[in-house]
Order: sequence, then structure tokens, then C-alpha cells
Amino acid sequence: MNNTVLELENISYKYKNDLILNKINLKINAGEKIALLGKSGSGKTTLISVLNGTIKPTQGEVKLFNESFEELDRKQKSKITTIWQDLRLIEDLSAEQNVNCGLLAENNFYFAFKNLLNISSFKKAHKYMKLCRLHNSIYDKKIRKLSGGQKQRVAIARSLIQESNILLADEPFNNLDPKLIKTIKNLLLENVDVNKTKKSPKTALVALHRLDLLNDFDKVIGIRDGKIFFNIKRDNLKKIHLEKIY
Amino acid sequence: MNKLKLNYTSLSFLPILVCIPLGYQLINNIHFGGFRLFQEFLISAFNPKIDNEIIITVIKRLNETILIGFFSWLVSIIFGAIFGIISSNIFYKIFNIPNFFYSIIRFFLTIIRSIHEVVWGIILMQIYGINFSIGIIAICIPYIAVNSKVFAEQLETIDYKSFESINQINAPKFSSLLSLIWHPIINTFQNFGLYRLECSIRSTVILGLFGIGGIGTSIFLSFQTLSFRELWTYLWSLAILIIFSGLILKKIKFNTTNKILSIFFIAVFFITILFSFSYFLYFIFNNNSENFNSVSSLFKSSSDLGLFDFLKLILETIILSLLSTGIAISLPPLVIGIFNNNSSKIFIKIFAFLLRLIPTPVILLTLLTFNNPSLSLAALSLGLHNAGITSKLLFTNLDSQDKRNYIAMKSLGISKKTSWLLGLFSQQAKSYLAYCAYRSDIIIRETAIVGIIGSIGLGWQLQESLSSFAWQEVTIVLIAYSSIAIVGELINGKIKNSLT
Repeated sequence: MNNTVLELENISYKYKNDLILNKINLKINAGEKIALLGKSGSGKTTLISVLNGTIKPTQGEVKLFNESFEELDRKQKSKITTIWQDLRLIEDLSAEQNVNCGLLAENNFYFAFKNLLNISSFKKAHKYMKLCRLHNSIYDKKIRKLSGGQKQRVAIARSLIQESNILLADEPFNNLDPKLIKTIKNLLLENVDVNKTKKSPKTALVALHRLDLLNDFDKVIGIRDGKIFFNIKRDNLKKIHLEKIY
Repeated sequence: MNKLKLNYTSLSFLPILVCIPLGYQLINNIHFGGFRLFQEFLISAFNPKIDNEIIITVIKRLNETILIGFFSWLVSIIFGAIFGIISSNIFYKIFNIPNFFYSIIRFFLTIIRSIHEVVWGIILMQIYGINFSIGIIAICIPYIAVNSKVFAEQLETIDYKSFESINQINAPKFSSLLSLIWHPIINTFQNFGLYRLECSIRSTVILGLFGIGGIGTSIFLSFQTLSFRELWTYLWSLAILIIFSGLILKKIKFNTTNKILSIFFIAVFFITILFSFSYFLYFIFNNNSENFNSVSSLFKSSSDLGLFDFLKLILETIILSLLSTGIAISLPPLVIGIFNNNSSKIFIKIFAFLLRLIPTPVILLTLLTFNNPSLSLAALSLGLHNAGITSKLLFTNLDSQDKRNYIAMKSLGISKKTSWLLGLFSQQAKSYLAYCAYRSDIIIRETAIVGIIGSIGLGWQLQESLSSFAWQEVTIVLIAYSSIAIVGELINGKIKNSLT
């Protein structure tokens, strides 16, 4: 049975004269947890942006559940959630308002309006913020007043609240201390809801720099100069693989 | 020989060179017949007329001014925000609308704001006759376009990555739009919108000079009858109104977390939109436009305007703008730099306040008491009024600036004036010039007012053409005006961008 959820077919992406992604083919199956390795500027962020539809590839096709990404409706596209390396939070909004933004896809305009006026319910947002070990004293603080680690966890909570089955994350453990990294990693890779009940296995592609965090991943993809150099099971990862990409 | 190198500081002073041709013409045009009147005008400032009758008139006229000013501000700020949204990049990105529409709406708004509210007022008065509503509509038309530009500029500063992030959540488009623009809109309203109320009141006063009503009309009538004591009563009462409104507006803080206040503002927003539409329709259907039969009349009536004369008027308008801008840029730093002590500062601040307070046409009429009408005199009036405005900004920035460099220079034995120039002003010069670039846009539009009063440039021609209902000429003059203002805005935009 074909259980591919995300597929890249011969993807290339050119920005000005630079070829950022070069003929990439990739299949991500349901429930797979994949670590994406590569040095800075290797094309990891661009690959994630192509996978979530933010960037249209110059060549090739992105498929979600075997359908072309272009042809999917808003609801179907919202099955993917992304944690960006630069977080991309709305600076003027409070932490809880930002987390609630993750619910915009499943709600109407009135919800967005209430969120801005602070009259919507923040119950769900608070639960996810608590899961991310965010203290309630920062819930109503504006993003610009938070520390790097707090901002990182707000972005993670915003992603988790979407309760999507497919997670794309670009270095999500930045700014976090080792204890928090363990907690957050569990939250991201195990598909938990607010009640901490496990649901269907989550599919995840996480861009990483730290090799000590590879333990919970099934596969490892190595990328260099916009090309996939290896796509192997984690247990098969050898020093020689890493030398190719670093 | 070393090459001359221009920096922001020297560029701030260089435009004062316009005073050489200007001064030459002004000295040649002096006539001594009106010095007594000018003297009387100055003395009356310290002895305004105060009796029951005039106090009642002041209250009545101020009420009219506040009403016109407030309603035109409310409508223009709300519609300005709406047009600001639909003329911002973010709107077109979220809704995937082709950029063609973005360019069209921006161009349309540029044309609308290129024509001064006084010109709109005179045109509407000519079509519909004198009417209280004309004042509100005349101010609203360009103000909506001006406000929309400011709102759009603020919305352009929204981080593109935030947009991508919200877009990736795949929220409904209106929800994404609202979440992204809410705070920039509120912040713009707080930082800029409240200040526009003061602008609205000033514009109401200027329109009053042309007969719309309010305190402006009383100022003009008292000037015409040379009742300077009455004139100063009106001017001082206007000063009190502006100072008080400024103090009140400073106290207002729009708290977005206050739910009741937010709901109240949203209610005001929607009621204003509904009211404006219904009132506009009522106005259109209940007013005769006898002097303006159809759009086709714009092209049918003959024009006596010769090409040479027309080009001369355009050139006059451009020179008028350049001379006024030169004065408005260079006079404040020059005067503040030369008279750089605490007592002089207070005097300069009061003088600058008076220049802002007295409408340009009144400054021009006052100067006309001892000088023949000329392009230089019109430029001086417009330049002085705007120098009052640029000096306010310069004072505010200089007062809030870190003075360590200035103190350090003085401690080295450098003179006070040089220390001020290099230790204080040089750090402000760049942002000051950027603001002046924006101010010169306004000066170009204001040439219409001084043109009408001082018989100079296209403003004068517009008045003549309107008086004789020569609609084709009116159209030609407006196109020329608009073109000058648009080209000016483009040049100033480039200058401003290179400075910021």
C-alpha cells in the first residue's frame, strides 16, 4: 500500500542566478521521523519552504497525499505545520495571541477578530503553552519582550496547537537548554494532543545541526549545495556520510 | 585645490541661497505706504479686541471650525485606513490579486492627493455653491488619499516572513489580513492619526478664508476690513484651540487590550462608514449643480489660455515651490544655530508657533501691506509658514538628542555655535532633510493657495478659470497641477529613500 504523505518530484529552485535546490526527489511516508542534516546554506530551509508550499519550485512538483500541492484546498494544505528557524511570530501580538493564530485555519474571521481584541478563549493556547513549559506570567506579554528561548517555545506551541499530522521544523531546538530540548523533542515527535493522549503517528521532517539529537529519528537525509547526498536509516549513518555534507 | 564635498549638514544650509534672488526682488518691491498698517497689525497682537459680541462670534465660529475639522478628520482617517489597506502590498499578496490593480489604485490616490483641499473646496463651491458640507468633503477628498499613503507605508513595513508564516497556517484570507494589519493600523492611528486632527482644523481655517465658514472666514473678513484687533482675537482663540487639542491628544492612549474601548472604536468605525455613505448620497441628490452640467462640459468649452502663458504659469509654480522649500529647509537651522542661547530659543519657539498658527494667505496679505505682489513675496509667505512647521520638528529632535558630543566639543574650547553645528545638528541633519523632502510635497500643493491670493502661478489661473466657469481651462490647470505635484512626490520619494 502506498503510504507516502509528501513527495518531491525532480524539484529544482533557482533564486536569481543561484541554484538553491537541484533536482531533488524525496518521498516521506506516514509516521516517518526524518532528520535533515546539512551545513548552513546547504538548502535545508528552502527545502522546507518548498515542502510546505511557501516557495514554488522553479521546476518539478510537490505532492501531498499523492495530489499536486497546487490543486489542494486550504483545509488540506493546513495538515502541514511548520516551525521556522526565524520563528516568524507577529511581534505586536502577545504570546497567547500568537499561539491562537495557529487556530486561524479551523476558525472563521470572527475568531481572528476576537483574538485581536483579547476576547477569544485562550484555554487551548494556555494548555499547549504549559506543555511547552511556558510560565503563565508571560502569556499576555508581547513577543518583543520575551527571551529567545521563550519565543522559540511560543512558536512551537503555535505549531502544536494546529494538531497537524505532518510537522516540518527548521532547527526547532535553538535557544533551548538540554532539559527543555528533551521535553520539546518528545512533544514534537510524538503526536500528542492537549490531554497528552497519543494519536496516529506523526510524520516529521526536522532540520538539525546537533548530531546528539538523532536518537529518536528513523531516517537521516544529508543535503549539500541543494542536492541530497544520502537518504538512509539512522542506524546506517556513518562518519563517511557526515564527511560528505560537512 | 580640494574638491567641495557636500554632506547632510551643508545640504541643510545650502538652500538658503534662494534668499539672494528673493531678497533682491523683495527690496525692489518695497512700498512705504502700508508700513503703518503693518505696525498696527503687530501692535494689535498685544491688544486683541475683547467684548461680549466678539466672544459670542468666536465661540460660534470655533464651534463651526471644530465641527468641520472633527468630522472631516473622522471620515478621512477611517477611509484613509481602508484605502491604505487596499493600496498596500500585503493586501495583494494575501488575496493573490495582480499587481496591476495595486498600481492603478496607487496612481488614483496620488492624483487625488496632489490637489490641495482649497482647490477641491473652490471647485465644489463653484459647482454646488457655499455649503457647510463642502468644507468636510473638500478636506476629506485629499486627506483620505494622504492618510491612505501613510497607512500603506506602515503596512509595507510588515515583516514578509510573518506573512509567509500566517499564510502557511492556511487561515482564511480575511483572518490572515486582520491578524497582520491590526497592530500596524492601531499604531499608525495613534502616532499619526491624532496629529491629523490638528491638520484638519488648520485646513478648515484655510478653507474658511475662502468662504466655507468657521473662524477662517472671520479672520479673512476682519483682515479685509483692516480690523486687526478683531483679527488677533480670532488668531489667539485659534491658538488656544490648537494648544488645547494638542494637549488633549497627547493624553489619549489607545489601549488595545481594553475590550470596551476597542468595541467602542469598532462601533464608531462602522457607524462613520455608514453615515458617510448615506450623507454623501444625500448631498449629491439634494444639491443642484447648475454651473456644472455634465462631464462633457470639461472638454466642450473653449479656452483662451495661450500655450506660452500657460507654460509661464507652470514655471512660476515650480519656482515658487523651490523658493519656498529652500526657506522652509534652511531658515530654521540657520536661525537656531545663530541665536543659540536659552532666551533666544524661547523667542524663536514663540515666533515659529505664530508662523504655524497664522495661515499662509494671512501672512501673504500682511506682507502685501508693504510689498508689491510678486513671486518672491508668495514664496516668502509659504516658506515662512512651513519653516514654522519644520522648526517645530527640529526643536523636538534637538531637545531629545544626547548632548554628550556637544558638551565634549565645548569643553575642548570650540565655540558654542560650532559645537552646536557639529555636535548636535550634524547628527540630526539626515533625518531633518528626510522630513523636509516630505514637507516639500506639501509645499508644492500649497502653492495653489498663495497663487490664488498672490496672483501667482497656476493657483491664480485656476481661480480666474473657475470664476468664468471655463471648465476646460480648469481641467487643464488641474492636470498641470497634478502633474507637478506627482513629479515632485516622485523626486522627493527618491530623496527620502536615499536619506532613510
